Amino acid sequence: MTFMDIADLAAVAIDEVTRFGPQFADVRAVDDESESVDVRDGRVERVSRSASRGVGIRVLVGGAWGFAATADHDGGAVRDAARLAVELARASGRVAHEPIRLDDSPPCRGDYVTPHEIDPLEMPVAEKADHLLAATAAARGVPGVSFVEASTDGWRRRTVYRSSDGAAIEQTVLHAGGGLVAYAVGGGESQRRSYPTAFRGQFASGGWEAVLALDLPGHAAATGREAVALLAAPDLPSRAETTIVLDSSQLAMQIHESIGHPLELDRILGMEQAYAGGSFVRVDDRDRLRYASPIVSITADATTPGALGTFGFDDEGVRAGRAPLISDGVLVGFLSNRETAAAVGLESNGTARADSWGSIPLVRMNNVSLAPGTDDAAGLAEIVAATDDGFLLCTNRSWSIDDRRTNFQFACEAAYEISAGSLGRLYRNPTYAGRTLDFWRSCDALGGRSDWRVWSVPICGKGQPSQLARVGHGAPTGRFRAAVGIR
Amino acid sequence: MIRYGADRLFELAGAALRHPGPDEVEVTLGREQVALTRFADSRIHQNVHRLDHHVRVRVVVDGGEAGARVGSATSGLLTPEGVRRAVDRAYQIARTVPGNPDFAGLPAGGTTYDSVRRDDPDTARCPPARRADLVAALLRSLPAGTDGAGALETTGNELAIVNSRGVRAYDAGTRAALSILATAGDSTGYAEGVAVGLAGLDPVTLGSRAGEKARLGAGLRELAPGSYPVVLEPCATAVLLHRLAHAFAGRAVREGSSPLADRLGAPICAPAVTLSDDPLSSALPAAPFDAEGIPRRRTILVDRGVAVGLTYDSAAARMGGTESTGHALAPPNPLSGLPTHLFMAAGSETTESLVGRIDRGIYVTRFHYTNVVHPVRTTVTGTTRDGTFLIENGRIVGGIRNLRFTQSVLEALSGVEAVGREGQVATERFYGDAYAPPLCLSSFAFTSASTH
Repeated sequence: MTFMDIADLAAVAIDEVTRFGPQFADVRAVDDESESVDVRDGRVERVSRSASRGVGIRVLVGGAWGFAATADHDGGAVRDAARLAVELARASGRVAHEPIRLDDSPPCRGDYVTPHEIDPLEMPVAEKADHLLAATAAARGVPGVSFVEASTDGWRRRTVYRSSDGAAIEQTVLHAGGGLVAYAVGGGESQRRSYPTAFRGQFASGGWEAVLALDLPGHAAATGREAVALLAAPDLPSRAETTIVLDSSQLAMQIHESIGHPLELDRILGMEQAYAGGSFVRVDDRDRLRYASPIVSITADATTPGALGTFGFDDEGVRAGRAPLISDGVLVGFLSNRETAAAVGLESNGTARADSWGSIPLVRMNNVSLAPGTDDAAGLAEIVAATDDGFLLCTNRSWSIDDRRTNFQFACEAAYEISAGSLGRLYRNPTYAGRTLDFWRSCDALGGRSDWRVWSVPICGKGQPSQLARVGHGAPTGRFRAAVGIR
Repeated sequence: MIRYGADRLFELAGAALRHPGPDEVEVTLGREQVALTRFADSRIHQNVHRLDHHVRVRVVVDGGEAGARVGSATSGLLTPEGVRRAVDRAYQIARTVPGNPDFAGLPAGGTTYDSVRRDDPDTARCPPARRADLVAALLRSLPAGTDGAGALETTGNELAIVNSRGVRAYDAGTRAALSILATAGDSTGYAEGVAVGLAGLDPVTLGSRAGEKARLGAGLRELAPGSYPVVLEPCATAVLLHRLAHAFAGRAVREGSSPLADRLGAPICAPAVTLSDDPLSSALPAAPFDAEGIPRRRTILVDRGVAVGLTYDSAAARMGGTESTGHALAPPNPLSGLPTHLFMAAGSETTESLVGRIDRGIYVTRFHYTNVVHPVRTTVTGTTRDGTFLIENGRIVGGIRNLRFTQSVLEALSGVEAVGREGQVATERFYGDAYAPPLCLSSFAFTSASTH
């Protein structure tokens, strides 16, 4: 078997599949590498390095899709996969209605490399481990901390994309990040506090410098102290409706679940209905539906510097761009790929993404972000100071939303009472719940530019077979109305 | 998929075992083929096939008093060159990382593995046209005016694990799964089936069941949130069991995030509940060894309401001062150490009889997007979907809008009034398959309502 470069694999694949005269075909040859380091207290629990390489071939024949992918690295296997993709498309045509068509996005040629200083896959693992061990040592020094975990992950993906209409793209995307979690356990309770946020931390498009910028060791002791304080705190009391202030990391999760997903056009068109669910949004809601209060504007922006959903081209070869989704509270756009955009008379806004060479591109979030408020200097402190009564909720702990994205409930790691413009008592096990439109229409305060920060969601699940996407959300602090203390 | 077979995979792994550097070496070689035909609006809109390989190597270097130094590397290249690259990279990592005094060591060989039939060559070779025709048959079984969405998936895989302490394990298997969501106006109905092979699926019966639910639910009415007695179908029961699995992980008990600390041997739910982890049952057939090559076996977790068992991978077992129960999953799977082949014993009542026990309550087909609110209290939230009905005077009287629940699973299972006999294998995203019966529960807390 001859070992072929991914550019050669892509060339073999596109040559073979176009021999069948399809309406459209594209191929992605992908070389993925990643490295993870996990430490717990004073020891290294796991260091692993992964590599995966293969070709995915997608073809439109007779108005129906087929996709075949192989990890075999020789020309014969790739040609077999191309033929199988055509066979799959023909089989799809046995159960079909209107032929699928694509939008008129022009074929792109170009290349892209994530701006970075230090490739996270080139950093010695011992240095990564030492950095994490310094963080866990600092948190473990806090009396009452039961145990501490810290981790870092780095990913590098090199993609060669070719299409039957002439697109030719080479792209290398780098992601890196890390985080720290301190636990305090006792009295039948287990409390955790994460820094900078939960679920393995904060991630960026970039290099190891993004991990260093988090300064995990410098924030570890404070994180440990908050975990210990939570263990002694009471549960957040129940209120049917109250004012809540969400810190920007929790607001990022709120955007993800109740704006990002419902505005995916494949969901709106029913393509995900049986599994991850549909959306309450209809195609004809565009330019009509008041989704949120007038201070809320949302964009999907794959060009946000350093954000986890930033790239040069999506996995259908569409150049990265910026698309408004909600302007001054009114729904104005959807996340779309070439197929779904064409189905409603629009053009793709470049959000087709696949999680590997072996997956088809789906409509995915890139960086779906809430614009900061108009007062540049306003932040969490100013919003709290302007709030008579309510609660501040910080850092996501769990999430749930119904299959049309209307009824949500979140749990956070910590909450603080707000009384007469001041932060008061700390509460543990906080939850809040609401309905999507009521919630977003209640938004009456947002932090300004100085308060705005891009957060990451590195484990966004969707599709069958299941795919995980890494996406970003810019958000400031925000104030809303919701029910709290559901248990 | 043409299988490589045990001999070819063992031979590929051999080169890594002969590497001169590490003190111990473990090699896992896997191949997987996934074919999935997905449909919505009664047409096939996605049709995919993926053939993947992996070589995962874990090496151990003696670090003296500092403990073992361990490195892992994975390659997608299932060739001698791929194996060599993976072992070189793993060794490079192990030489540089700090030691781990708690590392349990690689398991010793010399064990035998029980097995259960889980391989159907016909399913492994299923051509795309056959899947399309099965989908067509399913869609034809729906009532007129009903749209169908869902997926038909066939998978085939083989796996070999070899280590320098004598472990040599090989397994091959297949799986077929079919799901159908029927939509009629504002009402939806759902059914699914899972089997070793395509012959074990019955598309027409599944389509009829989903279609009938959609018909029965037409004209949804609203029901105020509150606590109601419920009948859960197997898909709904399975989700609660998956969310409870964390409680039985020895590591969670040790760390204080499980409610079972000091409660082994004590009643934790109703006597009607017997729950095991059973990867060797014919309903949930799995490889007879875990990701480290340790034999899998049946582990009883709850015996007639009493907590009796916990599960461990080798790392958790080492910390807990006990033996692995064969529950390691390939890293970085966060479910490693948890029971992932949950089997709840069925009862004797028909589903109709379970419904007949309830004066006013709710019938749940399945749950959506559940998540843990509080692990120690086993509090879970999620919503109902695709067939939620009002029960009055012992019979289903019509569809209702979906509701959100926020409920302790252990408290819910303490109120099991009866267990149905019509159990089935149900699949939950991220968690996999479980065998679950329908349940009648005395109370279930619905905390808010959805709009549909």
